[in-house]
Amino acid sequence: MSGAIVKKGNTIMLSGRFTVGDLKEITSVLEAGSGKRMIIDLSHCDSIDTCVAARIWSTVEGSREAGLPMELQGLNPDTQAIFARFKTIDEKPLKPIPKPTLLYNFEDIGDKVLATWDTVYGLAQFTVNSFKALFSGKFRGSITAYYMEQSGVMAIPIVVTLNWLMGVVLGYQAGYQMSQFGGELFMPALLAYSICWEIAPMMTAVLVAGRSGSAFAAEIGTMKVRQELDALEVMGFNLFGYIVTPKMIALFLVMPLLITAANFAGMAGGLAAGGIFLKMPAVVYIAEVKKALIPFDLYWGIVKGLFYSTIISVTGSYMGMRVRGGPASVGRATTSAVVVSIFLVILVDALLSLLFIHIRPGLTL
Amino acid sequence: MMEKIIQVDSLTGGYDGSIVLENINMDVYKGEVLVIVGRSGCGKSTTINYLLGLQKPYSGRILFDGVDIWSSPQALNAARRRWGVLFQSGALLGNYNVIENVMLPLMEFTSLSRGEMMDVALSKLEIVGMEHAAYENPLEISGGMQKRAGLARAMVLDPEVLFFDEPSAGLDPVTSGELDETILSVNRSMGTTLIIVTHELASIFAISDRVIMLDPEEHGIIATGAARDLADNSKDPRVRSFFGRKNGE
Repeated sequence: MSGAIVKKGNTIMLSGRFTVGDLKEITSVLEAGSGKRMIIDLSHCDSIDTCVAARIWSTVEGSREAGLPMELQGLNPDTQAIFARFKTIDEKPLKPIPKPTLLYNFEDIGDKVLATWDTVYGLAQFTVNSFKALFSGKFRGSITAYYMEQSGVMAIPIVVTLNWLMGVVLGYQAGYQMSQFGGELFMPALLAYSICWEIAPMMTAVLVAGRSGSAFAAEIGTMKVRQELDALEVMGFNLFGYIVTPKMIALFLVMPLLITAANFAGMAGGLAAGGIFLKMPAVVYIAEVKKALIPFDLYWGIVKGLFYSTIISVTGSYMGMRVRGGPASVGRATTSAVVVSIFLVILVDALLSLLFIHIRPGLTL
Repeated sequence: MMEKIIQVDSLTGGYDGSIVLENINMDVYKGEVLVIVGRSGCGKSTTINYLLGLQKPYSGRILFDGVDIWSSPQALNAARRRWGVLFQSGALLGNYNVIENVMLPLMEFTSLSRGEMMDVALSKLEIVGMEHAAYENPLEISGGMQKRAGLARAMVLDPEVLFFDEPSAGLDPVTSGELDETILSVNRSMGTTLIIVTHELASIFAISDRVIMLDPEEHGIIATGAARDLADNSKDPRVRSFFGRKNGE
């Protein structure tokens, strides 16, 4: 502290210079004087910074409201100017904060409904424009290959590992339950159906949405913030053709392959679970799986993959294109891309499951 | 009589229903250096966005060489092939190196071989003094170099009009001065029409043939003329206060 505080009778005298670092000492002296009619003498004070002045001002104002006003004395022009500014601020009426009303709540719900509709409509329009560009624009091989590598090749380890683990877990749990009534021989069929019909396509879609959907949104959003999209647009590039369709084609091509890999990884997980926990020989497991599955079951995953890939690439790109403002909105776009993609994937999965029951050979309700 | 290349006719526009520009009328003449100035929020960048067709006006028309750019998508695309833009950040694509960025319009719109495209791109990089950084990653070079590379890309198809959005923003006075000289040399050597948004006084006096001043309260143009003339003779206090400040204020 480069200043000194002296309390003499009902006078607190500040001399020297006071900065925000002295706030604690000043506060303790001011608090000790509260409840009395005190005089704060600043005639020997060279300077005080705004924080110290704010503390003195609030103490003086507080004492006035309590009916025991403190008095400020010996202000030099600089400190006088600071206090005058506080006085002006205090006298200016603050804009009243609107109280939440019932109407406000309804308006809020209405706003959210409109925003959701806006997203749905925008996404639908964006999808139409993306397909138009897909069928009318030129094929950009090198960009597509780049995204195939990023979204496909580099996703193989995580997709295979997680689906293998899912196979192990499902195999163990199904096998355990079935062994209670001697039905463990049915585990391979149950697992194969679960993996090929639902688990592998869904797990792969969730992983790709998390890896690639978010990456698409972040990449396009950042390009938007950095005005790269504006630059491409004014150079005459078709943004859908240049930015969106390579991602669509790339995912369209790699997603079925990833799902196929996931199918085999999941069933391999079941094989491991069968061997370790149920002591089931591999030949038995494979024979049971072969007996249960038909080629349609594997093709079905590929069909699902085509739908999911479109959802993920278009939603990720759309959310990226919607970025407005600064980097924070890129983060929001990334989150939205993943959430909306997974929501739509599950929605489409439910619809496809209804269709599946009717079209799979050998399946009757 | 100078020939008009861009005509703005009763343009009104803004964002999300709010009005930023109201009933703007202005002409841009072939070969001139037009500088758009004004206080923050007056609509300088918005004007550029409208001229570039990045936003559709609420009302009014923008004619490029006599054709309304919003009359059809083809009209807008045709106009875009004839202009180039340097954005504030340079707007280089981070996935490509500098020369690939410059080659982008050539790859998209010409049938040149890769070698020919490299020749063209390198010649443009040489004009802006960036040939030594042709293979650098744009995200790893200075802001001034990014802008120079952006300028090379904007010039690569030899546009008739070049737009600049705050070319000096974020640059030190020396780099800013060098960029001004480069910009001016493009105008002098190729006769390219330049439309520049800036509020750097030094740049305004150094490069402009004509200045248009916008005002946020008026939502439109409050003065037009030569920079020196406006600075010395304008009776409008807003114009006087703008030109009367010291550079950098």
